Amino acid sequence: MTTILDPTDERVPVARQITPRTANSPGVIGLLDISKPRGNVLLDELERLLAGRFPEAEIRRYAKPTFAKPCPSDLRLKIKAECNVVVEALAD
Amino acid sequence: MTATAFSLPDMAGEPRRFPTGRPSLIAFVKEDCATCNLTAPVLEAFHRAWADAADVWMVGQTADGNAILKDRHGLTLPILDDSALRTSLAWGFDIVPAVYWIAPGQEPGAPLEGFVREEWRQLAQRISGELALPPPAVDWPQLPDWRPGCGSKHLDPEIHDRLLAEADGSPIRARRIEVAPSDDIDEFMFDQGFSDGLPLVAPTPERVLRMLTGTRRSPQDIVAIVPPSMAPVTVEKVAINAVMAGCKPEYLPVVLAGVEAVCTDEFNIHGVNATTMGAAPVLIVNGPIRHRIGMNMKQAALGNGNRANATIGRAVRLVVRNVGGARPGGTDRSTLSNPMKFTMCFAEWEEGSPWEPLHVERGFGREDSVITAFAMTSGPVQIVDQESREPDQIAGTLGLGLEGVFLSKIHRIPVDALLVVCPEHVKTLTSQGDYPKARLRERIQAVTARPLREMVANAVSGAGIPVASAAKMTDAVLDSPAPKFADGKFIHIVVAGSEAGKFSAAFHGWLTGSAGSAVVSKKIED
Amino acid sequence: MWFEIQGRPAVSIASSEFAEAAEAQRRMLGMDGARYVLVDHPIQDATDDEMRAKAQAVLDAVVAAVTT
Repeated sequence: MTTILDPTDERVPVARQITPRTANSPGVIGLLDISKPRGNVLLDELERLLAGRFPEAEIRRYAKPTFAKPCPSDLRLKIKAECNVVVEALAD
Repeated sequence: MTATAFSLPDMAGEPRRFPTGRPSLIAFVKEDCATCNLTAPVLEAFHRAWADAADVWMVGQTADGNAILKDRHGLTLPILDDSALRTSLAWGFDIVPAVYWIAPGQEPGAPLEGFVREEWRQLAQRISGELALPPPAVDWPQLPDWRPGCGSKHLDPEIHDRLLAEADGSPIRARRIEVAPSDDIDEFMFDQGFSDGLPLVAPTPERVLRMLTGTRRSPQDIVAIVPPSMAPVTVEKVAINAVMAGCKPEYLPVVLAGVEAVCTDEFNIHGVNATTMGAAPVLIVNGPIRHRIGMNMKQAALGNGNRANATIGRAVRLVVRNVGGARPGGTDRSTLSNPMKFTMCFAEWEEGSPWEPLHVERGFGREDSVITAFAMTSGPVQIVDQESREPDQIAGTLGLGLEGVFLSKIHRIPVDALLVVCPEHVKTLTSQGDYPKARLRERIQAVTARPLREMVANAVSGAGIPVASAAKMTDAVLDSPAPKFADGKFIHIVVAGSEAGKFSAAFHGWLTGSAGSAVVSKKIED
Repeated sequence: MWFEIQGRPAVSIASSEFAEAAEAQRRMLGMDGARYVLVDHPIQDATDDEMRAKAQAVLDAVVAAVTT
């Protein structure tokens, strides 16, 4: 029997549940542009379509400073505070 | 000394437990030691003299050896088996025979190690006195005055490391993975996804302990938080990956500093890994540690063949892979990727450079040892010039050689480049006196300056300034010269390579700055 | 996935080229149920009209991802 030591972070996958969905109107919808080129065109159109689908909903737009780095925590907290659901685009 | 409790089997397989409740003489021996054999009959005489009032036990370090000793010397005293060597390690002597006299209620003294007749005789006298028994039948004058002992078996290097790894006080905290004897350990490690595609050295506890001797840092110190999993990496985890990469313990401080450097926000290893452009860290080591650990900075410095260069770079990559979870097909999205993702680490030949070494230029002391990380997407790209004799000609060549960064057509780019100037090119550059780095950077910018209109998209290549944007520019703007780099500061310069050959080389960067990656230097604590 | 942990239903829109990366990240963060919607590659050289068509194609999936 050979013993070796685990070189990984030993993270045991924890099965996290996603947030329960409510089938009614989404309320405030946050559209987060991760700032890769062309994503804004897709989000512009999505904003128009969502506004048509949910006339009572409010749609807010956000953008990450750069796609190459994770979303800054203050922006994440702002989105969490202001929105009921979040749509991120466009990873390419 | 520590006369810790033990339970060891005697020759009949019966466990003998210490302490026994009686005065005890415990003698550690090994069969292949001449002095142990010399003293075996003496210990037998002790046993015969004192058995009524004390336990005289011999503790042997191999089971086979115990049987031989018993037969060879006709021993009747209990001979205990410490072939696991755990008791030897716990008691902590260095030499066999090691003889302890332990009377209940008394502080045990230092052992007698080896054989000094006068010491043994006095001990025998003292014990007989304490036990109020006749002295043992030992013909002292027949024995030599003095014989050195032998190194205890538990101090054999391979054995000692294993024992330490298994001992209660072991610093090892990582999860232990048992690989079945029927399993091929090398194949197992491939199957677990630990490998970059090349074979690994199995990170056994004893190897990892040996690796940890390379640093004074505590094994459970957190070195960095490794993206993209954002897992904290300890010194121990770095050591495990360094073992797998093939490092020697003396490389560990360099690997630790390398992991720190690439895991900074500025370096942004997640972006470097993830980009489809295929970037990798290029690590340069400066300062005295280069020589101490035998890094290559001269002939073939950027290539294969040197263990330190090869395995330090690989160890940093393995930490990012195994602890950070960055893997091709997962979060590594490189279109083509490049072989620097296996390893890319070398030392600057400071002694062959007319300039301040990289680390001094970046604010460290000359006697500091420092590792500097660059995020590079291409290289080393050779820059060939065997003809130029004038310093400005060589500088011009180096400039033209850098024009290919990203695409030769694209100029004024805010992107790092790393220029490795070979000694023969250095010689020509400085043949007429000082040629400062600042002048070299200016020269590179001057010889690469092209009219902006050459950057406009055209039938040859649609890359560059869109036609619509160019249409809004005046002729004066379109005719203005655009050097290769947005600023000379993007050109980083070091010296390496053999003294024969007029071939310098360049590494080409990725997105530089806060949107991408910045050059990061970390001092190596050694 | 941070938004999910914070109680905000979320969906990521990614190009089909990114499917593997999205899967890898879900596994790494231990949230296999996280939602994403894929649009057809290519993106970088798509025209504006092509991008708008991609948005129309995924609208229903995006709405479903945050409401059901």
